[in-house]
Amino acid sequence: MRGTVALGPYLTGAIIISKTTLDSKLARVYVETFIMTVTTEPEALLSHLYKADGSATYSHAGYTVIGAVNGPIEAQKRDELPEEAIVDVIVRPAAGVGGTRERHLESLLQSTLRQVILVNSFPRTLIQIILQITVTPENEYINGKLVQANVNLPVLPALLQTAILSLLSASLPMAATLTSTSLAIIQEDGRPHIVTNPTARQVEQSKSFHVLAFTSQNELILAESEGAFTLKEWDDIYGAAYRKCCTTASIGDTDTLMDEGTTGADLKRFTRSIIEQKTASDLHWK
Amino acid sequence: MPREAEPSLNERAFVIQALQEGQRIDGRAFDQFRKLDLRFGDQYGVADVTLGKTRLLAKVSAEVTAPYTDRPFDGIFTITTELSPMASPAFEVNRPTETEVLLSRLIEKTVRRSNALDLESLCLVAGQKCWSVRVDLHVLSHDGNLIDASCLAVVAALRHFRKPDTSMEGDTVTIYTPAEREPVPLSWLHSPFCVTFSFYGENGEMMLVDANLLEEQLRVAKLGGTAVEGTSLIQCASAAVARVKEFSTLVDAKLADDLKRRDKGGLLAELSAENER
Repeated sequence: MRGTVALGPYLTGAIIISKTTLDSKLARVYVETFIMTVTTEPEALLSHLYKADGSATYSHAGYTVIGAVNGPIEAQKRDELPEEAIVDVIVRPAAGVGGTRERHLESLLQSTLRQVILVNSFPRTLIQIILQITVTPENEYINGKLVQANVNLPVLPALLQTAILSLLSASLPMAATLTSTSLAIIQEDGRPHIVTNPTARQVEQSKSFHVLAFTSQNELILAESEGAFTLKEWDDIYGAAYRKCCTTASIGDTDTLMDEGTTGADLKRFTRSIIEQKTASDLHWK
Repeated sequence: MPREAEPSLNERAFVIQALQEGQRIDGRAFDQFRKLDLRFGDQYGVADVTLGKTRLLAKVSAEVTAPYTDRPFDGIFTITTELSPMASPAFEVNRPTETEVLLSRLIEKTVRRSNALDLESLCLVAGQKCWSVRVDLHVLSHDGNLIDASCLAVVAALRHFRKPDTSMEGDTVTIYTPAEREPVPLSWLHSPFCVTFSFYGENGEMMLVDANLLEEQLRVAKLGGTAVEGTSLIQCASAAVARVKEFSTLVDAKLADDLKRRDKGGLLAELSAENER
């Protein structure tokens, strides 16, 4: 069901193409190529880079980000803080040079991750988090400008997840893990409608777009919004994001989870299972 | 930032002595490459090259801009190689190291200045509109021999890349989105590849290909440092020819595989608006 939601606008687009080219076969090809680029389930790979202390590749909802963590390492004299570690986040776009948008994302990530990492345990050191965006969903209807990279809020959940997984892979002590999701309010049939993990096209058409992140103790840690929305709408967004990020059925209780009809992947469970797999493979020799 | 750790004296002596006895620390022959793997992304123009523990990602992008005023008939082609701290904490953002300068200079020389990409074919309206093709090279993991691996990644990514199709009617240029017309490949003239040889010993009598990071730190000739025998240079050239042929067949085979993967039901030929030449 999630798959059809994510592919909705693409499917309609494909039908329009078939009208203009008068060939239904061609439409099928397009649909297939779209499916190839959209991943509905999150996927992750841990500790695959040799040089960095910790690394992770995370892909979800059309975004793929490679993250690496070095730390705690020696900080430069002019930067070091006497009582805590500096958290340095570097976001690099897939194509083009980073600009103000990347700096904005970096500052958001920095202030969020600083609260989660136990920075007080490592005074006068540096924890470096490098996030390399490799795949962003392409809008097949627009030839985008690429030299000035166009990274924005929609990539933030993927960046946060990658950062957390890389930190876990680097075994840096943290007070909590994070789960994060993006939501959009789209006007449909005259009434607002919440879409989780909207596609690039849905973000474009949306009234407002939100990114929320929760800690593993179910506390809100990051809320970024774009566009116009009412307080009531924000409450609905909060509720939807909370259900997506925080609810996880107790282990062995998968059936009730299915019945509840939660949209898409359970992020908290996902992070947990990835780490469980990693630990199991690391302790394989025992 | 911490500096790259120098190999210790013991390590240095061990590696050099092993080389003198005809052994490399990872058990390879002197003229043997590490395992080379090339993968393409779901999007056009993304190549992921793994050479042993070295891993690189090249991404090609294109957009329409105005050409340089002194070259009105040529398109613009740029390659950016920026080493991030991901490759090693010794690299800093916005502060190029010697490795980075060397790498970007060599890639520029082999790919851009050898005219591998036909720049005139990127021109749309002389003096007004042209394609600007850009390659971003990301080093994900650095374990030596960045030059050979990045050259391969750049060439593979450029050959894999498709730019949006265009048409001309009088003075107006129409650029079609991927949904309207299947994108077209770049006009590619030849595929250059690099093979790096490292010399060791007092007079540079030992010659290795595909040195890993530790071996790279120990070699004698850096930045054109020591003199090398003319005959060994000829040897290098003939060894490189054989190696480059292997690279070339690898890229061709991988490109063919990728095309087969994309061409589901054999309909890509129908989608193409290009004429047979």
